[in-house]
Amino acid sequence: MCGASRLSRTTSRRAVLGSAAAGLAATSGCMQRLRTLAGNKESPAVSLSIKTRPADEDPGAMHIARQLETWFDTAGVDTTVQPVTATELYRQTLLNHEFDAFVARYPYRQITADSLYSLVHSSFAAERGWQNPFGFADLEVDELLTAQRRQSDDRRAETLASLQKQLANACPFLVIGTPDSIRAANTTRFSGWTGAFGKSPLRLLTLDRADPEATTLRLVTTDSRVTRNLNPLMAPFRRRGRITSLVYDSLARQYQGGLIPWAGVDWEWDTSRPDGPVLRVTLRDDLQWHDGEALTAADVAFTYRMVADTSLGTFEQAVPPTRYRGRATVVTAATAIDERTVELTCTDCSRAVAERALTAPLLAEHVWRERASEADIGGVGIGAATTEALVTDAIPPVGSGPLQFDTASDRESLRLTLFEDHFRTTIDPADSVAASALDPPFDAVEVGFVGSDSTAVELVESGDADATAVGVGSDLVRTIGRADDLTLLLDQGDSFYFLGFNVRSAPLSNSRFRNLLSHLVDRQYLVDTVFDGYATPAVSPLAGTGQVPETLQWGPGGTVTPFLGSDGELDTEQVRSAFREAGYRYDTGTLLQS
Amino acid sequence: MNVVSVFSEVAVVVSLLLAVGVAGIVGPDRIRSELPALRTRLRQAARPLLLLGAVLAANSVVRDFGVGLSWLIGSNITKTIYAIEGSFVASLQSLAPAWFTLYLGFVYVYGYAFLLVFPLVLTLLLANTRYLKETAFAYTVNYVIGLLCYVLFVAYGPRNFAPDTVEPLLYDTIPRFQLVTSQVNANTNVFPSLHTSLSVTVALMAYRLRAEYPRWLPVATCLAGSVVLSTMVLGIHWATDVVFGVLLGALSVYVATRPRFHSENESS
Repeated sequence: MCGASRLSRTTSRRAVLGSAAAGLAATSGCMQRLRTLAGNKESPAVSLSIKTRPADEDPGAMHIARQLETWFDTAGVDTTVQPVTATELYRQTLLNHEFDAFVARYPYRQITADSLYSLVHSSFAAERGWQNPFGFADLEVDELLTAQRRQSDDRRAETLASLQKQLANACPFLVIGTPDSIRAANTTRFSGWTGAFGKSPLRLLTLDRADPEATTLRLVTTDSRVTRNLNPLMAPFRRRGRITSLVYDSLARQYQGGLIPWAGVDWEWDTSRPDGPVLRVTLRDDLQWHDGEALTAADVAFTYRMVADTSLGTFEQAVPPTRYRGRATVVTAATAIDERTVELTCTDCSRAVAERALTAPLLAEHVWRERASEADIGGVGIGAATTEALVTDAIPPVGSGPLQFDTASDRESLRLTLFEDHFRTTIDPADSVAASALDPPFDAVEVGFVGSDSTAVELVESGDADATAVGVGSDLVRTIGRADDLTLLLDQGDSFYFLGFNVRSAPLSNSRFRNLLSHLVDRQYLVDTVFDGYATPAVSPLAGTGQVPETLQWGPGGTVTPFLGSDGELDTEQVRSAFREAGYRYDTGTLLQS
Repeated sequence: MNVVSVFSEVAVVVSLLLAVGVAGIVGPDRIRSELPALRTRLRQAARPLLLLGAVLAANSVVRDFGVGLSWLIGSNITKTIYAIEGSFVASLQSLAPAWFTLYLGFVYVYGYAFLLVFPLVLTLLLANTRYLKETAFAYTVNYVIGLLCYVLFVAYGPRNFAPDTVEPLLYDTIPRFQLVTSQVNANTNVFPSLHTSLSVTVALMAYRLRAEYPRWLPVATCLAGSVVLSTMVLGIHWATDVVFGVLLGALSVYVATRPRFHSENESS
């Protein structure tokens, strides 16, 4: 290791002497001392960076992050907040795993118990996307996640209770609460707004026309992503997928806590097969893609192969999409039996879990097959380990949903028109949504982008838009309430805010540390200050599903991880002794790694 | 109300301000005597004016593309800026009464647009085209360096970073202006403040023109000061952006007034 053989003429004399001296020290037994001392360095200070979207894009997230920063700083954790724009934030966190912690919202409109499978199962820890972005791996959690897929009734409830408890303690992510969605709608052109932005996107199609002249529903959004990308498989560009789910149909749709048949008119659950239970789905017989091609069982079978591996098996390693991963893993094989029948072979799971797979967006084989190839830039391959399917903006999108693409202008607007050839069967005449969804009171939907929520509300107030497509800040509730033509739309929240941790590296790899951080968060205080009360604190990600055990229901002071203080003020002494007990040290208020 | 109508509103108000400015600061006699020479002067100052035009055109093309590039290669310095100055902007905001905020909101859009256009009119009406060239050149320097910084640094302003303490006052008081400002710039381009640097440039040039236009100096100084203040009080810029904006403005005037750029056909 003396390096004499590598000496070149350019090496300075000092360097030669230096390495010679080092060599001497090493040979004379100093190396042992050196190595011992090297392991005894001063412990580094504990620091943490929280990434989240800037206030223009998400006032709630930024405000939460800043309050967390204050609490964590008080505990001696050197915390900084970094604002990052949505697509970049999700590229850094979900795809590249370059983060310590991030504040975001759960990316689907509805959560079911099995949603937790893809969110925290260790088999997804190395994948890119919304599937386990935390890198969490816990054998007990894995077992519970697998068990709940098979179980039903009381046994499942028990499993889910243990699972939620385990998650609250090990804390791969910290649930904060679910905000109410606050929107403004103008009643001059359209009416019947109540619930229009509820959990089912279909409700938007059930408005009533107030002005006979109104033919276009004009929405205004503060999220520009939908104007430049309509690929349902790309996590960085999707909010909660409301618009894309109107463009891309699925076999069934979630509606009021249950599933309603959609492109699939009926399905059977067959548990007698040797390879695993099978969902045998019959399609409607009048299905068409937006480009006029017929939608067949082959397309459906293709869809489930695509959401399992966007390379369709052509890459050495599977390239799963960055969304819909939980649903995809339920289906192990998909076969078209005839034009209208498809069989989905499922893993060992209950019917309820399997049926969730029916809500994945249907993809046209004649459009998506070529996207299974390696992604390139301008036709030049760059050896990317990803497929075109996970890179393309999918504009124009070819779906089979009630709305079809018309035009889009980057960072300005998106225009969709009614798909005239969408199926016209009444699914259930008693069901008002299913019946009226067939006859929306407009020919087109326009989504325009503006930079801030107050401007969005002003546009709705002035009559230049009919409603805000996304929720606005709670500070605008009074503005909306005061204006004559405006209706305040308050919808119970559809997805919770959370602080996600990257458990792949220190200090967040330590579950005790994460658990301690969860004691530094006063959820009620956040709900009161950030959301002016327009939110519900939550401890479990399943809050609102009716599957939360009593011990994990939110109650002031009564949670598994009580706040170490009161009214948003931390009790510094209590906090420090908690961290000291966990093996951490303090140096004049700064937390040091043990 | 849409982007076009707000832009038209700004155009109308700025035209009115220009008319008032020309009448009050230049005076009718001078306009009458200088009018025949305008075409010649525009030709003489064509190079710096075309350069400015080219940079502005490039600015609008590069803007969208630049934001993406900026996320790719730029460094996100928001938290660094916050570490330096903390809650200065929040404190400043809490001192400003509502009427003053409203005034600053209008200054930020109308006043600033007037402040940029009026010096070009003023210097065009001077026999010596040197000042026209200097002004155009100084603007160009501001935009070039500003754009470069916008690519190299990603930074969000106080309203985006600290919604808990800093109010987005411009958009809360006059929401329609957001339609205009979002067309003009992305919210990650705050370092340095071009509002500040260009206002400082105009104020410094007004000082150079004080012999010709003695009334312009106090007006320009007050307006420039208001614009600088507005960037912070409205929650758009950090004090750090403003400090670097002042430096950039001063640098641009220093560069633009160097004799080497005015060696050819100058009489003075």
